[in-house]
Parts: sequence; structure tokens; C-alpha cells
Amino acid sequence: MIVGEQKPIAEIKEMVAPYKKLLVLGCGTCVKTCFAGGEDETAVLASAIRLVSRKEGRTIEVEELTVERQCENEFIQEAAEAVGRNDSVLSLACGAGVQAIARRFVTKPVLPGVNTTFIGVLEKQGLFTEECSGCGNCELALFGAVCPVTRCAKKLLNGPCGGSQAGKCEVNPDTDCAWQMIIERLKILGQLDNLRAYVPPKNWNTSTSGGPRKLVREDHII
Amino acid sequence: MKNASISRLEKLLTAGEFVVTAECGPPRGSNRERIIEKGKLLQDVVDALNVTDNQTAIVRMSSIAASIHLLNIGLEPVMQMVTRDRNRIALQSDIMGAYSLGIRNILCLTGDHQSFGSQPDAMNVFDIDSMNLARTVREMRETGQDMSGHELDEAPKMFVGAAANPFADPFEYRVIRLAKKIDAGADFIQTQCVYNLERFREWIKLAREEGLTDRVHILPGVTPLKSAGMANYMNNRVAGMDVPEAVIQRMAGVPKKDAANEGVKICLETIAELREMEGIHGIHIMAIKWEEIVAGIVEGAGLLPRPDLGVS
Amino acid sequence: MQTTFTPRITIFYCINSFTETSSVFCEIENQAEITFVKLPCSSMVKDVFVLRAFEADADAVIILVCPEGQCRFVEGNIRAKKRTTWVCGLLDDIGLDGRRLSLFNVKSGDEASLEKILDGTLSVLEELGPSPVRRN
Repeated sequence: MIVGEQKPIAEIKEMVAPYKKLLVLGCGTCVKTCFAGGEDETAVLASAIRLVSRKEGRTIEVEELTVERQCENEFIQEAAEAVGRNDSVLSLACGAGVQAIARRFVTKPVLPGVNTTFIGVLEKQGLFTEECSGCGNCELALFGAVCPVTRCAKKLLNGPCGGSQAGKCEVNPDTDCAWQMIIERLKILGQLDNLRAYVPPKNWNTSTSGGPRKLVREDHII
Repeated sequence: MKNASISRLEKLLTAGEFVVTAECGPPRGSNRERIIEKGKLLQDVVDALNVTDNQTAIVRMSSIAASIHLLNIGLEPVMQMVTRDRNRIALQSDIMGAYSLGIRNILCLTGDHQSFGSQPDAMNVFDIDSMNLARTVREMRETGQDMSGHELDEAPKMFVGAAANPFADPFEYRVIRLAKKIDAGADFIQTQCVYNLERFREWIKLAREEGLTDRVHILPGVTPLKSAGMANYMNNRVAGMDVPEAVIQRMAGVPKKDAANEGVKICLETIAELREMEGIHGIHIMAIKWEEIVAGIVEGAGLLPRPDLGVS
Repeated sequence: MQTTFTPRITIFYCINSFTETSSVFCEIENQAEITFVKLPCSSMVKDVFVLRAFEADADAVIILVCPEGQCRFVEGNIRAKKRTTWVCGLLDDIGLDGRRLSLFNVKSGDEASLEKILDGTLSVLEELGPSPVRRN
């Protein structure tokens, strides 16, 4: 899922300052799971904005609403009336949601309330880890299903760097060395020979280096 | 290991000489006198001098420019190049440019992560890894083509080096990685500083058993310690460094004013032991901010005078 | 402890550890206006409830939960504590001062501790003054 983190109040406060009627718009899918933009966080943020504005002597009306997904028109439509009633929208969706809302309601200022951080996994309650960079050319089969492009700080495709010690990454001792994990996994799978294979330079054209990407499924387009 | 370039370092290694290289960091600024001063300390003391490429991710004078300043005073540079800051376009272009300026040796590295350096907010590149950089330089030399397959009007013919760290984990993979680097194109290997001789001996033995020491010139790295504090710092704070407790104790066991002497002594003992090992073809001295000690170490190790091949 | 204004305190409490009939509350009735919110378990104290108490002009919020290890729902009081710490940080960010919110583990009928808690809250409020977002 997409993992995000709510922006600090200090930043949000400045962003919403010019507006009198604000819709705080939550998203009930990815950002809900990571406690950044679901119903609960929408309610808390709306209240916090009211409090901070009152403290600073500003009047602002804050309305809250959460839709199932801000990246799909069908759900965005449910927010149309509320958006119409307000002069601005603070979206708690990922960056894609923010843009989808802005595209649908072209005359409304749409502000981001969340920093979209990564594609990750819920490792355990309250802990999310980055696992995928969406590079558009998955090579996990080679690496025992541990992604070196995302999980190695240097994106090494040919083995651990000289800074891997006791299974930890040199960049952050709290981070597991991706290559240590790859080796352990290949050992279990009996595929240690993969390590000897030369992995050529990656084609980044399928990644963001190739410009904005698009997926077309003709069979679903009428 | 054919004579594909006109590197002096390569000629010496091919001739079976026990070579001496050292390391020299470019200044944080544009003053070429600084690098020339450092170079002069090492003239006639080393066979080639590594020039670091923004080491520890701290912005410095470029490795190419600093290499040229050294070349101009008659030293042979080993230009270090990291993949952290350049994509494959810039890497190839700089290699061609460096060769056109007379640089004949390259050490291919991935580079320290920028989060340790002076600009942790920089975007890193890591388009290709050090393994693929070594392969790229070798391929340019052997095929006369760049990575895209385009025929070059004159191919850079560099003597290709790579790094190895026998002290990093997982240990069993370290020799596989060495083999991969040799397959990729490494002609010589410079290693992380050796303090743990036991582990190094085990690593070189495994390398010998795989026949790797016949396919590449291995130059173990040594760094003289200045103080017990430095020993501790290296062990605890520098990624991939292994300073055994006995070495730290030895440094701590002498009065502060004698610590540097003790460090040099340890360094000389290490060099002596390394020279006895089969498959070692030279020594790489990395005297961190202590270039003036290198001449003494080379002399103390009985490695002077350096062989004279005539300037290439 | 006498404050220079009449503080408004909202007390969230867990019905498994507490009742609001304590004599301590009667005693301070003339020093503060107290609003009670009872919850079936302290883990039900959502962040937004606390914020809304401040929106409704509370000067301080107290959360009373059972002693650790004695939660009927095992970890309700631990969750409440973690959440309270988080909301304290949010109150600091808002500029309301996190010290206006506190959580205490108390046993049912422990009047002495309760008295101390209320006294402590009043003296914090004496220092902080009324909530900057209080409207009247």
C-alpha cells in the first residue's frame, strides 16, 4: 500500500491561513491504514485546525468528510457537494489523490495535508517499511524476493557493499542490510548460485527516469 | 592481465614488483598548491597515488582535476571514481576525458552514502554499481565501444581497479564478490585497511583456493593509527572497519606522546606479515590526514628505493 | 490551591476503575467546574474526544485509568497512555501546551491520590492560566 504521514500542524496552519471555509477530506484506503488520512485522522486534524485558528484569532469553518478513495472518480463524486460548500480543500490522500481531487474541482485550491512517503508493508501494528520503488521492471525473482533497488541504500545489484556489518546497513544501524536478507533467503531456497550471476545495469527507462508513466488496458476501455 | 594500457602501475605489477600505492585526498577548495604539496611528499616513495572522489561524500576538488595536478609533477595517479554522483552518461564521459588528459588508472567504487557527508540532502545517483562501472571501463578498453555499443574514435585504455572489504559481512560472500569484480574487469584490487590479520589471512586463503590471486593483483590497505582514540573511532564509527581489541589495547597501552610511533610500528608489522602471504602483490597506504608519514613507512618497511621504469 | 480564574476541567474516566461520587470532587466544586465523561474502557479515549473537550472550552483534561496490569481489557490503559502522549505533543504543536492534558493510573476509592491529582492540575493551571482558546 501507499504509506503517508500527516504534515506537521505548523505547516498545515500556514497553508490554510488564507481560507475561511475549509473541507478536510480524508481517504479511506491506504492512508487510513497508516493512520495518516482516514476518518479518525480527519476528525483530529479538523479539530486541531479549529483550535489553532482560534488560538491565533482567525476564523475558519472546518468541515470534515472521508471518501473511500480519492484516486477514483466514482468516489470523488461523493465529495462534490461538500467541496462546493467550501472555498478550499485540504486533502489527506496520497499525492495521487490530491491531484485527482484538484483535477476534478478545477476552481478550488486543493492543499496536501499528508507527505506521501513510500510503497510499503505493515510490518506490525504501527510499523511500516518501504519495500517497492515501482521501478516498472521487477527483478525480485533473482534476489529471493528481497528488493535491492528499494531496500539497499545504494541500489546495489551485485552484492552487499563494504559497509554491511552484522546484518545491518551502514547508512542506518536500524535498517537491515538488504543483501544480507537476499543471501539468507537464497540460502533457504538453495539458490545461492544466483549470487555469482552478473546482474547488468538496470534499465531505468521503465522507472521515473522515462518520464510520467501510463498504463493502458484497452480491454477495459469502451 | 594483458598489457592493454600504458599504466606504469600495470607495468610494475606485470613485472612482478611488489608495488606501493598511497592515498591522497583533494582539498576542499580550488587551491592546486595543496594537492601538489601532498604529492611532493610522496614523489619517489610510491608507485602510484590514489586520488579520492569526494570521499565520505564531502565536496572536494574533483578527482580528475587533482589527478592531473599530480600527473603534472610526475606522479602517477589512480583516479578514484564513485557511482554515487554520476549516471552512466557522466561516468563514461569523464573516463574518456580523464584518459585524454593522461590518466591511466581508475579505481571503480560505489562510494560512501551521501548521508554521511557534507550534503546529506543531495539526491544520489547509483545508476550503476561499482561492479558495472568496472565492467564498463574494461569493455570500453577491450571493445572500443561505449555502453551503448557506439564505436569510439579512441577508446580509453585504463588499468582497472576495484575495492574489496574482507572485513564486512556476510563473510562467506566476500570471496564471491571478489570473483565477481574480477569477472567484471578488475585488474587490481585495493582492500579496506587491514588490522585483523587473522581474518585477512582467511580471506586471501579462500581467494587463493578459488584461483583468484592468479587473476588479479591484490594490494591490501593499511592505515597507520595515530592514537587509541582513532583506533576506537575506526572500529566503532567507520562502516566496514574491523580493528581487533588487541590493537586498540596496544595503542591505549603506550603514553599519549608515543601513540603515533606505536601506530607506525603496528603498520610496519602488518606490512611485513602481509608481504609473507602468497597472492599479495603490493601495499596500499592510506595515511588519513597524515601524508607526511608515508615516506617513513615505506622506508621502514624496506620498500625503498622504488623501481625505476622511466616515466611512461 | 486557589486559582485566579475558575478553571474548567474535563475528566475522562474508565467505569471499571472509578465513580464520580468521590467526596474529593465535592470538595473542589467551588474551585473548578468539572465535566465528567465516562467510558466503558479508558482505551476508548480517542484523540478527537480530548481535542473536542478543548474546543468546548476546557482548560485542562484529566484521564483516569486503572493501574497498569489491571485493565479488564488487558491493554486498554496502555493504549490510552500512548495516545495521551501523542495528543500532548499535538497540543504543544497547536500552542495549547501539552501540560493541560494528563493521564493517571489510580485505583478505585484511592481518595488521597485523587486529591493529589486534582491539586496538581490546579497548580498547573495556576501557572498556565486559562486555555488560550477558551471563549468565555
